[in-house]
Amino acid sequence: MNELLEKLLEAVESGKADQKSPFPPQLKGQDGALELTISALEAGVSPQEILESALIPAMDKVGKKFTENKIFVPQMLMSARAMGAAMTQLKPFFTSGEIKTKGTFIIGTVKGDLHDIGKNLVAMMVEGSGWSVIDLGVDVSAEKYIQAIRENPGAVVAMSALLTTTMANMGNMINEIKAASPETKIFIGGAPVNNSFCQKIGADFYSPDPQGIVEYLNKQAS
Amino acid sequence: MKKHRILLQPLGKSLIVNDQTPLIDVLHEYGIEFPCGGKGTCGKCKVKLLEGEIGLTAVHQQKLTALCLSDEWRLACHSRCTSDITLEVEQCNHIILADESSFDFVPQTGFGVAVDVGTTTLVAQLIDLSSGKVIAVETRINPQGKYGADLISRIQSCINGYASEMTYMIRQAIGSMIEQMLRLHKVEIKRISLVGNSAMQLIFSNADVTPLAAYPFDSANSGQKEFSVSELNWKFKVKEKIIFFPSIGSFVGSDILAGIVATNLHNKENYCALIDLGTNGEIVVGNQHRIVCASTAAGPAFEGTNISIGMRAVTGAISSVYFRDNLLKYNTIGNVKPKGICGSALIDAIACFRESDLIGVFGEINSGENQIALTTGLGLTQTDINEFQLAKAAIAAGFEILCKSLSIEVKDIQELYIAGGFGNYINIRHLIQTGMIDLPEERIHKMGNTALTGAKIFLFADNQISNEILSKTTHINLERDAEFQNIYVEKMLF
Repeated sequence: MNELLEKLLEAVESGKADQKSPFPPQLKGQDGALELTISALEAGVSPQEILESALIPAMDKVGKKFTENKIFVPQMLMSARAMGAAMTQLKPFFTSGEIKTKGTFIIGTVKGDLHDIGKNLVAMMVEGSGWSVIDLGVDVSAEKYIQAIRENPGAVVAMSALLTTTMANMGNMINEIKAASPETKIFIGGAPVNNSFCQKIGADFYSPDPQGIVEYLNKQAS
Repeated sequence: MKKHRILLQPLGKSLIVNDQTPLIDVLHEYGIEFPCGGKGTCGKCKVKLLEGEIGLTAVHQQKLTALCLSDEWRLACHSRCTSDITLEVEQCNHIILADESSFDFVPQTGFGVAVDVGTTTLVAQLIDLSSGKVIAVETRINPQGKYGADLISRIQSCINGYASEMTYMIRQAIGSMIEQMLRLHKVEIKRISLVGNSAMQLIFSNADVTPLAAYPFDSANSGQKEFSVSELNWKFKVKEKIIFFPSIGSFVGSDILAGIVATNLHNKENYCALIDLGTNGEIVVGNQHRIVCASTAAGPAFEGTNISIGMRAVTGAISSVYFRDNLLKYNTIGNVKPKGICGSALIDAIACFRESDLIGVFGEINSGENQIALTTGLGLTQTDINEFQLAKAAIAAGFEILCKSLSIEVKDIQELYIAGGFGNYINIRHLIQTGMIDLPEERIHKMGNTALTGAKIFLFADNQISNEILSKTTHINLERDAEFQNIYVEKMLF
């Protein structure tokens, strides 16, 4: 494999966003995901290959380590930042259609809830696995979801809640979304959510960690 | 066998024990700590002998001399009960009463009761309004605990149909605490002031907590509330009034309003801060001109919830952890076999782990194992350390965002007051090492239960102080700050 891609994979996995970034200490002063992506593009590596051979495998490793409790939120968000830095260079190729995404993923934090770190983690893991992600933000109403689904037919929907009190809003929202768009698959997640709650409110999938969602999505896409 | 009667002040507890009973056995029931493990070296368990006799052994005398204690003092860890005695327990003055800090008041006739309605602990004091002195104290675990440790689970339980039961429970518990004090001291109460966070206030008042269940997390009904004994179903008389003080905003309640009064933060020229490491994790930053506040829900980890071996600061809890000769050492409350770890020792343990590189900058356990042992059978897991990181990051990020909202930096804070039940046990140096608070040690002060001190001040004051503070205080929604996630994640690191 291309040496640049190997380095990019390592930079994203270890959370090195750019050359200036102080983390991780062992890569201090070296090029980060941003510089390595620019170099790879300049060296003629195709954007699709950068995504598939570096970013996707890096985020896959990060997701697995998180699931296995080997890393925690800060490391994961460092990796997210590094991937985000690489993505700034790849965005034009998504827009032009040169990079093919696996599908569209609409995500938000449920109405009444402002907590978004978990939601952001999922968003970046899904993006890092080759999906186009639309993040609706926090305190998102059913109408907002329905609007976004209309604009992106066939998209998969995900909602997150951190509080037991706001988790209770998920059921009604799912009913409204399913009434407007019966075919839409809806994923739920968040600290108080579990599989039996998922089944009770008629959601399609629950995962306790981002990696579970990524694996499920990719199975659907293939 | 011969029996003796022990009266514990200022708890007002009276108990009968067998002849020769070690005081350590009696006192650890009341949560009194023996930090040096009963060796008689720390002096923390000192008691003042108000009445009766406790014979001194040569060793005991030696320890007292070494600690420079006068002959009215005894070390509970070296004392046995051989006659009827009355003791003033020094630790209780700090933990429960926390009224070391004097406050200005205009003496009046009669008696008042100040109540701190905590999410976890209830404390009530009977006060002589002519002297400001505490006559009796009652503490109890909040009986609503069975409906969840944190506020969100309590609110959820209210929504699930237990609201009136929870209202009944809390009124009943506080009523019986006051009755208990009145049984020992037959006085007539002039007024009662209650303080607590917004959810506690709404539940006590039998008001709807649903607005606190979701964004914008604000009840329009959190102003000052007055009650009569008959509507609370209390069996004693109150001459004037029973007042539950107004909440500041969102989850930040009158306990923090009282904390501001107790620390006099609202009259300071320099910027000062108050951090309550209780269940609700409130932070206040401000001065005489402007005050901002927020709650962080970081507290449960410090109260033992979410930590695999976490427990409250009672007998059997490891209460401090430190290094000596490169070995991890600990003290246990009551000098018994440790059962778990309380908040203060959790902070100690994390600071020691980090200092000795047992954990890395991300909180990862460097050995690759899933836990770090404190003693046989007790250790902190990777998940425990991560829980602590979430809690300390919530406090640190909240503190930084509040400072930012006043256009100042954390380092501009001249005085930082630590409030909350276990605040007095915290090792400040360790607290700084964990990265929770980034200020020089000498600017950080442990203040004890500021909510209770403030509630006491309210007994003497009219509504003027609380109205004045409310008018200059703004509640800030931390999650709404665009920088919150970045700051929060950065603060998780060590």
